[in-house]
Amino acid sequence: MAEASAASLRPGRLEGLDRAAPVWLLAAAALVMLILLPMGWLAYISVTGPRGGFTLAHYARVLGDPPLQKALWNTVVLAFWSGLVALAIGAPMAWLSARTDLPGRRIIQSLIMASFVTPPFLGAFAWVMLAGPNAGYLNQLYRGLTGAEGPLLNIFSMPGLIFVVAIYTFPYVYIMIANTLGLIASDLEDAAAILGAGRLQVARTITLPMVLPAILSGFILAVLQALALFGSPAILALPAGFHTVTTQMWSFFQYPPRAELAAAFSIPLLLATALLLLAQKKLLGRRGYAAVGGKGGQRRIIRLGPWRLPALAGCLAILACAVFLPYGILLKTAFARAWAQPLTTANFTLENWSFTFLHSATQSAIVNTLELGVLTACVGAGLATLLAYVTTRKLVLGHQVLGFLAVSPVVIPGVVLAVALFVAYTRPPFLLYGTLWILFIAYLTKEMPVGYSQADATMRGIHPELEEAGRILGAGRLRVLREITAPLARSGIIATWCFVFIGVIRELSASIILFSPNTKVMSVVIFDLKEEGQFGAIAVLGIFMLVMTFAIVAAMQALLGRDVMGARSSSGSG
Amino acid sequence: MPGVVITGLTKRFGDVAAVAGLDLTVRPGELVALLGPSGCGKTTTLRLVAGFMAPDAGEIRVGDRVLSSPGTVIPPERRRMAMIFQSYALWPHMTVAQNVAYGLRFGGTPRAERDGKVDEILRAVQLSGYGARYPGELSGGQQQRVAVARALVVEPEILLLDEPLSNLDASLREEMRFEIRRLHERFGITTLYVTHDQAEAMVISDRAAVIRNGRVVQIGLPQELFERPRTRFVAEFIGKTNLIDAVADGAGSVARGRLRLRVAADGLTPGTPAVVSIRPHLIALGPRANTRTLPTGANTLAGTVLRASYLGDTVDYQIALEESDVVLRVAGPTPARAHAGDPVTVAVPTEACVLLPADD
Repeated sequence: MAEASAASLRPGRLEGLDRAAPVWLLAAAALVMLILLPMGWLAYISVTGPRGGFTLAHYARVLGDPPLQKALWNTVVLAFWSGLVALAIGAPMAWLSARTDLPGRRIIQSLIMASFVTPPFLGAFAWVMLAGPNAGYLNQLYRGLTGAEGPLLNIFSMPGLIFVVAIYTFPYVYIMIANTLGLIASDLEDAAAILGAGRLQVARTITLPMVLPAILSGFILAVLQALALFGSPAILALPAGFHTVTTQMWSFFQYPPRAELAAAFSIPLLLATALLLLAQKKLLGRRGYAAVGGKGGQRRIIRLGPWRLPALAGCLAILACAVFLPYGILLKTAFARAWAQPLTTANFTLENWSFTFLHSATQSAIVNTLELGVLTACVGAGLATLLAYVTTRKLVLGHQVLGFLAVSPVVIPGVVLAVALFVAYTRPPFLLYGTLWILFIAYLTKEMPVGYSQADATMRGIHPELEEAGRILGAGRLRVLREITAPLARSGIIATWCFVFIGVIRELSASIILFSPNTKVMSVVIFDLKEEGQFGAIAVLGIFMLVMTFAIVAAMQALLGRDVMGARSSSGSG
Repeated sequence: MPGVVITGLTKRFGDVAAVAGLDLTVRPGELVALLGPSGCGKTTTLRLVAGFMAPDAGEIRVGDRVLSSPGTVIPPERRRMAMIFQSYALWPHMTVAQNVAYGLRFGGTPRAERDGKVDEILRAVQLSGYGARYPGELSGGQQQRVAVARALVVEPEILLLDEPLSNLDASLREEMRFEIRRLHERFGITTLYVTHDQAEAMVISDRAAVIRNGRVVQIGLPQELFERPRTRFVAEFIGKTNLIDAVADGAGSVARGRLRLRVAADGLTPGTPAVVSIRPHLIALGPRANTRTLPTGANTLAGTVLRASYLGDTVDYQIALEESDVVLRVAGPTPARAHAGDPVTVAVPTEACVLLPADD
């Protein structure tokens, strides 16, 4: 080689530098900003007195006040019982669909997915129409059949609330357990059987211990959902005259807003969530052995015999509560003048549809929601992909911290996040309150864990050698990212986009605190319309939201070759 | 055509030094195999040479360019190297031709000449007409050839190969060994070849560097490594061998208990510990009653056959030496001349007893 024949050429400092470094650092900085700024403010304001200075008065006030204590207790009761009910529903269904010859398993699986993606507040709202004590459809039916005076069911009660929360959180339990059962090969059980263990002994000594971590962690996931939920308690608990932590925090923001109390009140919720997630992680971390033995092994299908039909009936009853009845009543309401009356030709109308799509308030909410959905999904998928790239390829110092930060919003319930953002962005240097931007930031933060996890899995699936092959042939890192990594990650990135989009269009618990009259979104409008008794419009908006969700889920399923719950379809190809 | 000079190269992962002060010189146009068991640091060395990692100490030079030193690492894309990966790393979203042409975009090859170069190199690896296929549509061996073509077409100064044959089945692997050697002889690119397979290293390389614990323990021609290993590790790693821990008891002999061997060395200090390596195929075997068939001037030892295993082209004997705890492995021709329980005499030529340092 002719060039470089001078004595000994040392590379200049700049030549050795990663020229793409600013991109990685920018992505990292954005993430740190996104999380630490609001959470820092939240902690700060919770211990700062009205004239500055450190104080614990806010904590003393929220923890010492009997009604607030009651709200805390209500949340504990709600979370524990709905977790338990979700477990009681989810675990048997998981076993039935993973290991038995239950008829129609695929359809049941799809219906569970429908329940999974149904916004819980929509389900709660549908159940108001189904089991409200006076006009509730099921109660009308009951009165008509029996001639009784009182209602059969009263959804405005703690048991009612627990029921409605559980029928939409049991899919979390179901997913955990079904996926684990799918990993345990029958030969592990056969190995025990050949050593002389009876069927019950095998179940007790092999299968159950292997599934137990999944059962517990599914329970914890369900509890976490219930803790963070705002919509269902707001729709069902408030009319029943009791508060949960989330509704209480929301009421702190009714005029005049008392952010410092909300901040102090959010800390116990934050701690509980963090602890539960930690416990869940510990449980799952030790689950590795279930997967190790599961490779390639065949799963034997257990014959239910005479129990097939009763088991199917049980599953369908649950799905009726979660899907058929609520969707039915929404559909009926969308086309009815008076939702509580039978759908006769006289009662039939399309006014709800024209009202919803032509009325300026709902119309602008739909536009806002779609704008925010698309924007957040684009920015979120981009940022999550970049971050996952940076962390899986270990491009910056402290990349583990970045990965942790990206999933950390998981522990922040939407209401708490909203309080933190409210505090952080109602003062200089960032005055975003009252704009769509604060909602954008809330959604971006809230969806980051889902987006990042999806992007991380995608990046892990791309062998680093594919990128290194490009580098060594002369392509710089950014070029490799653009020409090799991005095309390979394409379907994963689109899936990330879809996950974020679905999450955004149904978001209520942060929006309900951060919206302003000009920046309402669909979920907030649904909540408002309920106050006005505009049930028809709610049903239309709800159906619109569901249709959009299912369309995107279907697109994603086609793209990934698996459903959103992680089960591979037979013809899948990553 | 530059060579590669590596001096004092060190790379630590946490407390573990994967590469620990490695020195290696690859002459211009030479193919050197980095040979060692998994975890010895050979792949890390290769990745340091490629510029995928920064060294903690030491230096890598190509010609008179310093490419890597602590704190300053020329990025891979500016090293004028090419690499063939264990996974082949073919881009599944590009056709064979696109894969091969990728590197030509950065080397200053005019656009008009690229297609011609791609065709030419595909012909060289016997893949003419496969340009429009996608990697997923090719067999493992064909994918391997595409990877080779993609690396060679850019006419790199240095070619790096990381266990490129380990994903192929046995017969194809053997074929590709000769293929790679043929291409090396045709293009003459300075090459570093990482493998854990000593047979592969022997077929392919000009010289092989045996690596252990992040250091080169011996480098030389394949024949040198086999016949004159300098450490116990090299003797064991390259081919099969009998290792006997003994003590020098004369200027040219060692002893272990009542077993005494004249060895291929003199000037030993009696009383110093020593290890003797004896290749199984260099030991001759005969019935106890008749020692006339055995070579003279060799160590003749009495023993009993413990086991004789038929291996197709040879018979593998395990022979317990009399009045000794040593069990010798002997490779003899087929058919088996002795069976389990037979008393035999073995003859170990003096020059077959290679002396190694005991402290290794």
